[in-house]
Amino acid sequence: MPFESVNGKVVRAHLGTGRTVLSRRGAMLGYQGEVAFRPVSGTGGGGVRGVVGAALAGESQPMMAATGSGSVLYGLRGLHVTVVDLDGRSPLLVEADRLLAHDADLQTSVQLIGSGGLRQAVRGAATGQGLFTTRVAGAGAVALLSHGGTFALPVRPGEVVVVDPQAYVASVGALSVELRARVGWRDAVGRGSGEAFQLQVTGSGTVHVQASENKL
Amino acid sequence: MDVLGPSTLPKGDNVNPYAFCVDLAGSWFIGRGAMIAYYGDVAFRAVTAYASADAYVAARFSSPAHVQDWVVAEGTGQVLLADRGFDVSSFDLDDGNLTVRATNLLGFAPTLALKQSIVPGFVTLLGTGTFLASSNGPVIFVEPPFRADPQALLGWADCPSPSIHHDAAWMAASLAGALRGALGRVSGEERQYDFTGAGTVLLQSSEVVREDPALLRVVEQQTEQLTDEQALVLAGRLRARVEQRRG
Amino acid sequence: MATLSARGRVLQVDLRGDAVRAVQGAMVACTGEVEFTGAGLGGGDGLRAALRRKAAGEGLALMECSGTGTVHLAVEARHVEVVDLAGDTLSVESESLLAVTPGLRLDVRFAGLGGLSSGQGLATTTVTGTGQAALLSDGPAIALEVAPGRSLVVDPDAFVASRGSLTTTLVSGISWRSLVGEGSGEPFSLRFDGTGVVLVQPAER
Repeated sequence: MPFESVNGKVVRAHLGTGRTVLSRRGAMLGYQGEVAFRPVSGTGGGGVRGVVGAALAGESQPMMAATGSGSVLYGLRGLHVTVVDLDGRSPLLVEADRLLAHDADLQTSVQLIGSGGLRQAVRGAATGQGLFTTRVAGAGAVALLSHGGTFALPVRPGEVVVVDPQAYVASVGALSVELRARVGWRDAVGRGSGEAFQLQVTGSGTVHVQASENKL
Repeated sequence: MDVLGPSTLPKGDNVNPYAFCVDLAGSWFIGRGAMIAYYGDVAFRAVTAYASADAYVAARFSSPAHVQDWVVAEGTGQVLLADRGFDVSSFDLDDGNLTVRATNLLGFAPTLALKQSIVPGFVTLLGTGTFLASSNGPVIFVEPPFRADPQALLGWADCPSPSIHHDAAWMAASLAGALRGALGRVSGEERQYDFTGAGTVLLQSSEVVREDPALLRVVEQQTEQLTDEQALVLAGRLRARVEQRRG
Repeated sequence: MATLSARGRVLQVDLRGDAVRAVQGAMVACTGEVEFTGAGLGGGDGLRAALRRKAAGEGLALMECSGTGTVHLAVEARHVEVVDLAGDTLSVESESLLAVTPGLRLDVRFAGLGGLSSGQGLATTTVTGTGQAALLSDGPAIALEVAPGRSLVVDPDAFVASRGSLTTTLVSGISWRSLVGEGSGEPFSLRFDGTGVVLVQPAER
């Protein structure tokens, strides 16, 4: 069932007949009817054990499940909400804390975009040199958050779309998203000393970029 | 972009979703900091300047806690009002009443009277006239029965003041799950404002709470009901809470 | 010849072999062949450092984007407006300038306030020549005309830009601003007389 867009910053989910909606905690603005809210542990993280697994669990967003019959309004801190409908053919990758809500039927797991191995990437994500993304697969609706709204850039075979990691919101399609360091890049994204990172997106699909370099 | 002027500006209407033009001929109450530009011959004076001198103003503005945040615009001209890039909406009350979050009230005609609401952080407008409210995202209207996140609540009209609904099932699930860091972490689902009856509830997209100087005065007023011992306990708890958040 | 197109809160810059100057740190995405170099003072510490240097009188920290590809610029989700200049001058609140095409010259002026006690006064960038300038505004900007007999008074924190033959005076006497302790804001307003256009934003800095 889709998310109904109430305005650019709020969506409404109608619940009933067994539908469960998962959302970030703190994202419920109000509700009508008989709705029960239950905290659930973070997205995905399945299959990754040990130190890295714990780090992933710590990084993933606290979520909650809504069930019952009625309707729930979702929004967060006045951030813009973009609704993406997945047809099941390709997964959506979304920057972890930009996922507002989704049908519980969709399968989610945590995916790291980093340079170097997994451990390196986990450390990197903590220091801002990597990206935790949530991979959403299946058919259903997803509501994404952004500061200022998103614009969509098509990615065509043979081209490279370069994105500031802090402005990356999501991507859909048969895409490869890689984190690269590039000297001189810091002038462009203006952050700190040392090498700065850029995301390089190749393949065929769409990347959603936000109109701001602010992290949420 | 269209260039607007005194004769082409919309009179008593929005210029765009984020700014409103008041066609001033007389006086209007305006929130401190709401004026972005004006044409004409207009003077702005703090409401405090009128408090004792002008009985008319004093009668319309009965909320000592909020008086420092308001000014009276007087004269003739076109005054543009805006707030933090928020959506600005105008409403007409017809012998009505509406309670709205104080920091979201941008301005109102002097035919309306303003009073402090029992719910901390809110003020009630009574009478007939126009007022302006700003909101993070367009205002969302819903009808009771409805439960609203306290931070998303913008106001309500006609229905009774809300009661507080504590989500016992949520609290039980939080404790039972012993979720990492769940104890003591407030995410907003623990309680909502519960509305019943006939009327309208106004919501905005939840916002990071803006510091409301009047809220401090209002809450301080309420602590006068505490005994000295209770007041000291409260002081200790507030200090501990701030230290825990900062630490 | 490079072109600037405003798309809501994002500026799309089609370089076409030219070099466009933009505020350092504003890049959110780019495609095609694009090179970035620090055109101002070398090294970037983002928008805030750029503004500090400007406040200290050293001018804006700009970067140069050159090549044949497309650059998308955005700053804090503020709205973007593009102004076309044909040999005239635009005065812009320095924090509101995003990018300019090659034919435009920039001068940074720091209008100190002399006897008035206040914060930093107004940092203004004048843009002169022929080309396009992209401006930032917190909320979509509103263009207000100034004409003889129709002076305009503006809150300095809402001022974005102005053009035409205008005289600007500081007006004091907004009595609530002198209330000490709560809220910030300059204790004065800007009054524009003459003939021209002023751009204001529906928010205060």
